[in-house]
Amino acid sequence: MSLAGIVPALSSRLYAAGSDVLKVGLIGCGGRGTGATTQSLMGVDKSVKLWAMADLFQDQLDACYNMLSKGAKGRYDRVDFDGLPDQMDVPEQRRFVGFDAYQKLLASGVDMVILATPPHFRSEHFEAAVKAGKHVFMEKPVATDPVGVRRIIAAAKLAEEKKQSVVAGTQRRHQLHYVEIMKRIHDGAIGEIVGAQCYWNGAGGSLRSEKPAEMSDMEWQCRHWYYFCWLCGDHIVEQHVHNIDIMNWAFGGHPVQCMGLGGRAVREGGNIWDHFAIEFEYPGGARVLSMCRQIPGCSDRVSERIVGTKGFAYIDGASGFIKGENAYEGPASPNPYVQEHVDLIRSIRQGAALNEGVQVAESTMAAIIGRMSAYTGRALKWDWAMNASKLDLSPPKYTFGDLPVAPVPVPGKTPLI
Amino acid sequence: MKTKASQETPDLSRRDFIRTSAALGAAAWAAGTSRMFAAGSDKIRVGLIGCGGRGTYDTTNCLNAAQNVELVAMGDLFGDRLDRCRKQLTKELGLKVKVTDETCFTGWDAHKKVLACELDLVILTEPPHFRPAHLRAAVEAGKHVFMEKPVAVDPVGVRSVIESSQMAEQKKLTIVGGTQSRRMAHLIEGMKRIRDGDIGRIIGGQCVRIGDGMLTWSQETKVRQPGWSDMEWQLRRWLFLTWLSGDFIVEMHIHNLDKMNWAMDAHPMQCVGLGGRQVRTGPEYGDAYDHFAVEYEYPDGVRIEYMGAQMDKVTTRQDAQVVGTKGRVYMDSGNFVIEGNKPFKYDGPSPSPVIKQHADQIAAIRNGERLNEGRRVAESTLTCIMGRMSAYTGRAMKWDWAMNASKLDLSPPKYEFGDLPPRPVAMPGQTPLI
Repeated sequence: MSLAGIVPALSSRLYAAGSDVLKVGLIGCGGRGTGATTQSLMGVDKSVKLWAMADLFQDQLDACYNMLSKGAKGRYDRVDFDGLPDQMDVPEQRRFVGFDAYQKLLASGVDMVILATPPHFRSEHFEAAVKAGKHVFMEKPVATDPVGVRRIIAAAKLAEEKKQSVVAGTQRRHQLHYVEIMKRIHDGAIGEIVGAQCYWNGAGGSLRSEKPAEMSDMEWQCRHWYYFCWLCGDHIVEQHVHNIDIMNWAFGGHPVQCMGLGGRAVREGGNIWDHFAIEFEYPGGARVLSMCRQIPGCSDRVSERIVGTKGFAYIDGASGFIKGENAYEGPASPNPYVQEHVDLIRSIRQGAALNEGVQVAESTMAAIIGRMSAYTGRALKWDWAMNASKLDLSPPKYTFGDLPVAPVPVPGKTPLI
Repeated sequence: MKTKASQETPDLSRRDFIRTSAALGAAAWAAGTSRMFAAGSDKIRVGLIGCGGRGTYDTTNCLNAAQNVELVAMGDLFGDRLDRCRKQLTKELGLKVKVTDETCFTGWDAHKKVLACELDLVILTEPPHFRPAHLRAAVEAGKHVFMEKPVAVDPVGVRSVIESSQMAEQKKLTIVGGTQSRRMAHLIEGMKRIRDGDIGRIIGGQCVRIGDGMLTWSQETKVRQPGWSDMEWQLRRWLFLTWLSGDFIVEMHIHNLDKMNWAMDAHPMQCVGLGGRQVRTGPEYGDAYDHFAVEYEYPDGVRIEYMGAQMDKVTTRQDAQVVGTKGRVYMDSGNFVIEGNKPFKYDGPSPSPVIKQHADQIAAIRNGERLNEGRRVAESTLTCIMGRMSAYTGRAMKWDWAMNASKLDLSPPKYEFGDLPPRPVAMPGQTPLI
């Protein structure tokens, strides 16, 4: 995907049988869902309307509705915004709650959906959205296990056939300095790529509060989804996928194998870890370091570095450059969280389907095999994980009842499934 | 800890020894200074300080590395360790072991008593914490030193070792460090090719060592015995106490990181690391971690990634890769392979490096040649220490700071068999950087 060459003006093609209103449904009304919705509505195309909302919890949905109506302060992934009531048409009967809320939303007449639930649910929701003929913006990661990844890939291929657009929340793919540097790398500016590093070393929290006695295990875990691997995929998948995605982008494909380690040095509650280091091997034998940490009070680093025989590229969220034979300074980039929606809506308007489904599934899978290797202490091949792994972290049933927490993984003991 | 030294390290004949040395370019031997050593005799009298598994192994190799080398004194903190070692060495080496009850010493000052004996060369193989102090005492006593790696557990110790090495230089004493990879023929030949530019300019690399949780190490000390003070239990479990061993990234994986320093012909400029303990979580494993990952940045921004773990039932690996603009090196304990413009695969002989390191030193002593590896092994030790410090604290760190400014000194308040509360396991973001 490249920004260059796409005409900035909107096509005059009318959308959806005579109406130019693009009806958006939001599935997953948490912080990221709220942010993604503002970015979808606040692009240049003002005929985008929020049409329906769905969440597991009523309070979550209400809070999101209020925030979108009245505005809110910015945070890392969105700017300050005023209320967007003019672009909202979400009456009570199009606000859905519960495990099947997404089905009701998909039947409510929306053209496009934003999938921003905890990652575990993504594959089921994505598959249903594609089958229902919807365009999709889906947050990363798109699964927490290989079974989920396979489901995403199958649905992404179906979307391809049906010419539905699929854009993923790996927003660096829509960030100008990333696009420009990557274009040059692919044109040979740093020679043959022989190594790389990517990092997300930052802070992270703990789940210290106790589950209220009257609350079910399922509700407790879903409300604190980040701390439970089956829901979140662990932070290497949930967060560091951004940087691993850049590695796949640079190499033009996924790793062939990996070996990882990690653990939980500080974090409390739930069952995810707080640090990982993975060596990924890409075709041709290039080895790539992936390092991620969620521990407060440490040295932070969120960036990527790609090493070639003629130079290297450094990129982070703010800037990037190439050093070596073909030195280059990357440009300033427009807000990528907005840009990804601009690109998506433009592709829908122009009928030129963008489809990032397989790409984000492969980046998710790379992060998952890193996690699986670290959890078990076993080196892993991509092909085995993609084709043979039976790991499926789904709970036995989706009801608000008992759900024992899986133990924190111990390498050498946690089985490779 | 290997003890079957007699099987693995045959007593080389003098002729074999000369041939091996010459083949590996030991110019020292060829120099032909037939100066007799030690007042008319070329006998080398050896003292051993630190009678554990490694001390037994090194002494065996040392005495087998050349003719006319004898063990004359032994010292250890514990009588039982010394007795066991003496018995084994006597069995392995027979008449080369000349120690008597009068030249066997135990206790905190055993090293001083060993050094007061008539000897030429001392082998330092006590837990690494003691190395800086024992090295200093040995150099002050005018002895040649073979010291096991690592040579310190903290920057204060590293600085002391470097200073002692400089003193040894002035006193024309030899120092050899037990980083035996430096004497592996395939690495010597391969590194020469790297230095000759066969892979172009180095632009990256990785080293990985994963496996062996060491859970069966010193089984008899796993459970604290009644009557053992804190200090005694920690000393007997030294491998898992950071103040004594430096943690496994320092204690064992120095071999791997030393190879990267060798390939780079430099020490790193900075590092950032992470780690923790996920398997060895009981008090019998002290405060040691069981996994580390450190990115080292060498001059010109070259990044070398290290991953290390001591765990069982995981995929075992021990290898390294160095990537250059014109090729790539793969190396492990037996292989050195270059792919690229100038492909190469080592298929020459592999004489025992653990014999060679002693043979080289004995030859240097006998010929009055300079041989001082003190600073080099100190730098490799600090490479590992700064990786550990970075992982323990969660802080990125510069070499210059660690070498010159860090005040980290893991010494206990006093050396006596008494209370010594175990240090807490390091918590990144909370453990202070000192």
